Amino acid sequence: MALSRSSSGERWRIRPDGTEKVTGKLAYLTDMSREGMLIGKVLRSPHPHAGIVSIHTDKARKIPGVRAVITHSDIPGMNGFGIVNPDQPVFCEDRVRYIGDAIAAVAAETPEIAQLALDNIEVHYVPLPVVDDPVKAQTKQAPKLHPGGNVLHRNQYGHGNVEMSFAKCAHIVEETYSTPRQMHTYMETEGGLFIPEEGGRLTVYSPTQHGYKDRMQLARILALPEFNIRVISSPIGGSFGGKDELNVQPYGALLALVTGKPVKIHNSRAESVRSGLKRHPMTIRMKTGVDANGAILAHQVDIVADTGAYATLGAEVLNFAIEHVTGPYLYESVAVEGVSVYTNNGVSGEFRGFGGNQAIFALEGQMDRLAARLGIDPWVFRARNMRKPKDPGPVGQAIVPTDGADQVWQSLAGSELWLNRHHQPSREPWIRSGTGAAFVMHGSGLGFGIPDPAGGMLALSDDGKIEAIFGYEEFGQGLIATLELMMIEQFGFGAEDLRIVIGDTDLVLHGGSSTASRATSMMWKSLQKLRQPFLNRLLEEASRVLALPADQLKVGIGGIRDRTSDELLLPYPRLAGEASEEIRFLTHFPFPTSPTKRIGAHYLYTYSAVAVQVEVNALTGRVKLLKQYHAVAAGPVMNPQGYLGQIEGGSGMAVGFALMEDAVMEGGHYLTKNLDSYLVPTWTDLMGDVEVHAIEELPEEDDHGPRGVGEIGSVGVAPAIAAAVFDATGIRINKLPINPELLQELPEFLREEANSE
Amino acid sequence: MMNRGLAEMRSEKGISCEINGQIIKLEVPPSRKLLSILRDDLVMTGTKISCEIGRCGACMVLIDGEPTNACLTMAYQCEGKRITTIEGLSVDEIDPIQRCFLEEGGYQCGYCTPGMIISVKALLTRNPDPSQEEMTEALSGNLCRCTGYGGIIRSVRKAALLGRDTS
Repeated sequence: MALSRSSSGERWRIRPDGTEKVTGKLAYLTDMSREGMLIGKVLRSPHPHAGIVSIHTDKARKIPGVRAVITHSDIPGMNGFGIVNPDQPVFCEDRVRYIGDAIAAVAAETPEIAQLALDNIEVHYVPLPVVDDPVKAQTKQAPKLHPGGNVLHRNQYGHGNVEMSFAKCAHIVEETYSTPRQMHTYMETEGGLFIPEEGGRLTVYSPTQHGYKDRMQLARILALPEFNIRVISSPIGGSFGGKDELNVQPYGALLALVTGKPVKIHNSRAESVRSGLKRHPMTIRMKTGVDANGAILAHQVDIVADTGAYATLGAEVLNFAIEHVTGPYLYESVAVEGVSVYTNNGVSGEFRGFGGNQAIFALEGQMDRLAARLGIDPWVFRARNMRKPKDPGPVGQAIVPTDGADQVWQSLAGSELWLNRHHQPSREPWIRSGTGAAFVMHGSGLGFGIPDPAGGMLALSDDGKIEAIFGYEEFGQGLIATLELMMIEQFGFGAEDLRIVIGDTDLVLHGGSSTASRATSMMWKSLQKLRQPFLNRLLEEASRVLALPADQLKVGIGGIRDRTSDELLLPYPRLAGEASEEIRFLTHFPFPTSPTKRIGAHYLYTYSAVAVQVEVNALTGRVKLLKQYHAVAAGPVMNPQGYLGQIEGGSGMAVGFALMEDAVMEGGHYLTKNLDSYLVPTWTDLMGDVEVHAIEELPEEDDHGPRGVGEIGSVGVAPAIAAAVFDATGIRINKLPINPELLQELPEFLREEANSE
Repeated sequence: MMNRGLAEMRSEKGISCEINGQIIKLEVPPSRKLLSILRDDLVMTGTKISCEIGRCGACMVLIDGEPTNACLTMAYQCEGKRITTIEGLSVDEIDPIQRCFLEEGGYQCGYCTPGMIISVKALLTRNPDPSQEEMTEALSGNLCRCTGYGGIIRSVRKAALLGRDTS
């Protein structure tokens, strides 16, 4: 189905959180304030690498209006955070490892006083040699950034014997690809409000993708029992993976507890750039060979990822990249190695696509180069080597069979964009048009061996609202709207009967993180499990109250209705008032994983095929995107507006990755400190049409339902653009973002002059 | 804090202006940013803060009808001016532009949306029937990171169409 408003009919609904958003009434957590609140600010390191000799806070403390100045010695619990590996200090004690490192935090009556206090904290540093390159970081001479050295994580995968397979190849392509340090650029920077409550409790209003993980980490830092902390975590002004780790929460929480006052922190954009996560820059070396018939025999890959100063999910991102550099193809032999390396650069962490973007850019580049060497159409070449439904996954693991690969391949092959790729008129002699495509296989969920709980609750509340209670977060992807639509379509409730409860650890269950394209799948699965028991219970209670047999009743809009006449017999508020006991069901289950025991290996995959048409201006070297076609095989569409929005939005972010975005660092310092030098796509850059073809059919035995589409739209665009640029110019790109200088030609008249001289 | 009568506004310090139809006297330093005045002093948080250097448009407001970044506007520049924020667009009922954004799904996280809608309001007030180029120019100062602009473009086109039909 081609997704659009008109093709969606009544399923295209106004989002329940929409009116508040378009009127500016919605209070994001960083918009909140309290009478008498203090302003918190964090002192960060001016050096990418330095020893700390001393920290003096006396002058800062004496400034009128300053209520607290805290450092490492004020942390009651653990001085560290990180979802998996808590190696990032809340406050540095004797050493700083990047320019986002925190040394102290202050709470003051105004932002100006808070800034003055920061300026008066005296820290004596001894600068240390800066390790700004992940290759140099691995040499013996490089200073050790962590006790275990500079290698965060190494992993590999292989089967067969690549040397023997290469020996049989008719063509071998060797190339090194590199990708930029992309910034999430969520429009709402990190922040929140931290309120000490009666009885020693603390309420944290701060955006995150996983309130429970924040609560657990804050409890460790604050040395408080988890139940003493309430984390309220939605709505969020964008995250894209960038707010899954703690950011300002430890500082806000500590300052609130020390001062006994509400404390608000809201990062400036410059501070957000400095301290926030980025996408891992990767250098991926690939050697891939085919036989004369175009069958891929050997694929050898070497990945170096710059994880920056601290671990966060660097190891997991590398594992994901290793899994996805083989992608939807079959090989006689594979040898993949990867290393994730600590440096004094900004911290790299999770980012929409989770290492797949880098891997697939490189892999698809190889496929195009091999097809060219063979003289075969690149799309036909892909079909020749495509994984079949029952084949094992990219790292040899058992996966859920799907026809997705073939479905998206066929869809793209038949698309107007692809069929007309050779008939693009050139408007001007210096405008070159081209078309390119990419093929994507992307895993969802956290993978084997990583705790990945899921679940949710349904309840009839005392006031008669049907409550859907989930631990997932709304960061713009449309989770609330999707949940509402599923409750309407699969249960028969009206929108006004519902109350969606999310993002509050006092109210919801631990349902796992809103990450890895998993929330829609897990909400759907929860509802499948809860549906029958919950509906049965409602009808049983109604049957008792109405003294009618349950099989004459049904659940409907407004209340319990007569099954045949649809007459409203018992409104939900009355049912709630007269129910003999609380009606509440919960479910808890793990995200499905592969039976193959390989850490991080995925079980559920989504496929997509992306074609793009571009124009390259040979005078300026600028690439303009004209059209995109996305075929996505992610199972049934739960929410057409959200699905379309996620693919369009994900692809827009990938256009930035391909053409303009790079958080440039030099010697451990960002040269791009704000949106005047870090450029993200504007309306002008993304005016071209995006056609989204959703393939909804799943194999009959597949009961896993819809897969999330939060990431799939963002992984195939860059390689498709690179292929289209080659089609237009004959120039192969191996480094992102695409440098316009590579695509510039001398104009004809200058060429003549140059020749004559 | 903000609903004081004109009679009380005789102080020598500060400036006065009209915000969403109400006369406001502000006792603030002349160089205080309008963005801070709106969000922190008046607790009108519909105007969003993001880049603070006039690049993203999240803090766009109308000053005498002109779309202006509140992060680049200082208090003294507001003296005697008529300021409209997103809160002022839907006093009795929501603006048709807002309705178009709702119907077309012209937002996701929504953080850029107030600024985006203010820019659209300025454009369509000035020019009810803008060309593609005029839309592009008018919206080039508003960044959105969620939608890929697809939904926003459809919303603006629809709002323009609506304006053309009723004008």
